Amino acid sequence: MGAEGTLGIITKAVLKLWPAPKDVATAWLAIRDPQAAIEILSDAHAASEDNVGSCELMSRACTDMVLRHIPGTQDPLKADTPWFLLLEWSSSRARTEGSEGISEKMEQFLADQMEAGRVLDAVISQSEAQTRNMWVIRESVAPASRAEGPGLSYDISVSISKIPSFIDQGISAALAILPSIRPYPLGHIGDGNLHFSFMGPKGMDRQTLHQYSPAITRAVNDLVRDMAGSISAEHGIGIEKIDELAHYRSKVELDTMRSIKRALDPKNIMNPGKILRL
Amino acid sequence: MSSFEDRLRSVVGDKGLIVDEAGKHPYLTDWRDNYLGTALAVVRPSSTEEVAAIVRLCVAEKVAIVPQGGNTGLVGGAMAHEDGREIVLSLNRMNRIVDVDPIGYSMTVEAGVVLKVIQETASQHDRLFPLSLASEGSCTIGGNLSTNAGGVQVLHYGNARQLVLGLEVVTPAGDIWNGLRALKKDNTGYDLRDLYLGAEGTLGIITKAVLRLWPKPKDIATSWIAVSSPEAAVELLSGAHAASEDNVTSCELMSRQGVEFVLSNIPGANDPLSDRHDWYVLLEWSSTRARREGDNSTGLREKMEVYLADAMDQGLVLDAALAQNEAQSRAFWALRENHSEAQKREGPSIKHDISVAVSRIPAFINEGLAAMKNALPECRPVPFGHVGDGNLHFNCQSPPGWDKARFYRHSEAISSAIYDLVVGYGGSISAEHGIGRLKVEELAHYRSRIELDTMRSLKRALDPLNLMNPGKIVQV
Repeated sequence: MGAEGTLGIITKAVLKLWPAPKDVATAWLAIRDPQAAIEILSDAHAASEDNVGSCELMSRACTDMVLRHIPGTQDPLKADTPWFLLLEWSSSRARTEGSEGISEKMEQFLADQMEAGRVLDAVISQSEAQTRNMWVIRESVAPASRAEGPGLSYDISVSISKIPSFIDQGISAALAILPSIRPYPLGHIGDGNLHFSFMGPKGMDRQTLHQYSPAITRAVNDLVRDMAGSISAEHGIGIEKIDELAHYRSKVELDTMRSIKRALDPKNIMNPGKILRL
Repeated sequence: MSSFEDRLRSVVGDKGLIVDEAGKHPYLTDWRDNYLGTALAVVRPSSTEEVAAIVRLCVAEKVAIVPQGGNTGLVGGAMAHEDGREIVLSLNRMNRIVDVDPIGYSMTVEAGVVLKVIQETASQHDRLFPLSLASEGSCTIGGNLSTNAGGVQVLHYGNARQLVLGLEVVTPAGDIWNGLRALKKDNTGYDLRDLYLGAEGTLGIITKAVLRLWPKPKDIATSWIAVSSPEAAVELLSGAHAASEDNVTSCELMSRQGVEFVLSNIPGANDPLSDRHDWYVLLEWSSTRARREGDNSTGLREKMEVYLADAMDQGLVLDAALAQNEAQSRAFWALRENHSEAQKREGPSIKHDISVAVSRIPAFINEGLAAMKNALPECRPVPFGHVGDGNLHFNCQSPPGWDKARFYRHSEAISSAIYDLVVGYGGSISAEHGIGRLKVEELAHYRSRIELDTMRSLKRALDPLNLMNPGKIVQV
C-alpha cells in the first residue's frame, strides 16, 4: 500500500467497514489562533468520546476569498476574527429518547471552550442547509483560489502540536522571499495536514510569480524537514516529487527503498521511474 | 588485534556486557522453559549509537544478533540458538521516555521502556496508551512492536501496528534510520515503519518509537459474567456495542477449566460467583466522559447493569457480578490475566494462538474441542481469549501428572488437528504471538509459495548476510 504500483498491481482488496454515522453535529467556530485550534481539538477527543469526524482550520483570507467568489455562500458568523474552525462530530449511535445527543454534548463543550478563551464565537448548525453552507465554504477554497488568480500551494504534514509554529515560520519565510505574497493557510489539522497556500501579489502574472516558486518551495520544504514533517502528506511522489524525495530523505531510507524495489521487481518493469530512481 | 569480546566492551563498557554463564542464563531461556540457547555474549547497549556500533562489529565478524526486549515472548522469537555463535542484544538499558506531547496525542520512547511505565506516563498526562497484556509489567515496547502485540483492548483500539506513528531502527548494515515522524499522513514512498513492525527483529532493530495516545477513560464499568455457551458470549458482545454507545473496550471469554486452574494455582484468587458455570465473560466498557456529579442514571455502570439484567431475562446471562470499585475490577482482571501463569504452574501445556471470524468462534470451539480430545483423550483443553477480535488461545493442558517429554510427544498430532481446522475456517495460526522459532515450520506449511518467496526476497534484500535474528519467521 502506498507503493504507487512499483512493487505489484493491486487487483482486489478486502475493505474494512464502519457503522454509518447516525447522529452528526457540525459547528463553525471563530477562534483565537491556530494554537487555540489544536487545543480545542485535543480536548474534543475526550469530550466527544472519540467522535471527532472533522476539524478543519481556515484563515480569514480563505473564507473571504470564498465569500467573494462563490455565489450563494454566507458567512456563518459575522465575527471579525482572523481564524475559523469547522468542527464536526459524528456518532454511529442514533439519538435515543431520554439520552443526550451529540449536539448537546458539543454545546456543553463549546461553552467550556469559550470560557477558556479559545473560542470567541460559535454556531452549531441547526439544519441541513446550514451544515451544507459550512462545508461549501471549506470545499470551495480551491475553486475560489482559481478565480482569484495565480498562486502556490503545498500539501504538507507535521505533528499536530507543531502546526502553529509551522504556520508562523512558514509565512515569515515566504514573505521574506516575496513580501507582497498573500498567505491563506488551511488544513485538516486533526491529521497534521496543511494545505499551505498563497495567492500571488495583487496584479502579478503567473509567469512572474513562478520565478519566485523554486525559492519559496525550498524554504517551505526545508521547514517541513526541520520539523520532521512530510513533503507529501497525501498526494504521493509519482514523477513530480521524485527529486524532492531524493533531496529530503536520508540515504539509508532511500537505499532501503531501493533494496526492496530491486528485490521484488528485479527487472524494473513495474511503474519504473516513479517514487525512486534506481 | 583485540578479541571480539574486547571490542564489544569498548562500545558498551563493563556495564553493558555479560559473558559469564550465570549472568547470561536469564537471557538465554524463555518464560515457558521451552528453549535454552547459548551465546557468545549478552550485550546491553545504552543508546541507539551503541546499538549501531555493535551491529557494525557483528557485520565485520559475521556474528548473528538476537534482539531481545523483556523476554516474555511465547514462540522463541528472542531465543538464541544452541550453537553459541550468536550474541543476544538486549535493549533493556534503553529505557528512557524521550518526549510526551499530550496536545498532539503522542509519546516518544526508547525501545526498552517497560509497557507498564508507558501506560503510567500516559495516564499522568491525562492520556491513554491502550496496549495492555498480561506481561505488561515486564515486556518492553520494542518487543511489543517487533511482534505487533495484541492484548485485551484490540477490540477498541487495534493491535500494536495501529498504535505507532514513527520508528527509529538500526539496519542490518549498522545504519540508523530515523523515522521518528509523528505524522498521521505521510505518502512518501514505501512504508518502512510497517515493514519493521511485526518483523520480529529479522529486518533490523527497533530502537525508538513515536506512539499514539488516546484520551484517558474517565468512567469504567467491569463485569464478571457467567454465560451458558460461547454462542451466548458472542451474542452478548454483539448487543453490548449499542447498549454502551460503542464503548466496549474489552470482551474476554474463559472456560471453567481455565478459571479453575487460576483458582487452584494462584494464591488469593476467588470465584466472584457462588455457583460453577461452564463459560465466563469479562466485559469492560469505558468512556472518556466523566460521570457527572449527582447523576446516577447516565454512568456506564448503570447502563451495564440495565444491559445485564435484560440479557439475564433473555437467558443469555446466567449470573453476573458488576465491579463496585477498582479493587474488584482488578480482581476480575487478575482471573483473566493469570490464565497463562496458572497453566504454567499446573504443568506443561501446548499453546495455539489462533484467529477466525468472530461469528465463527462458537462453531470453531465446538469442533476444536472435539479435535483436541480426539488427538489425546486425557488432555485438558483450556480455550480462552479475545472473543471480540476472533482471537482464541486454544490451549491444551497435559493430563494430570504427565511430564513435558511424555506430553510433547503428542504435540504434533494435537497442533496439526487444530491448525488444519483453523485453515479450514480461513483463520490465522498466529493471531498475536508471532512466529519466532516455534512456528517456522507451520508457517512454511500453511502459507502459499508466493507469500513465502516474497518474505524471503525481502529478508535477503535487507539482510543479505542473514545476521538479524536468523532462523526466525522464515528460513532463507
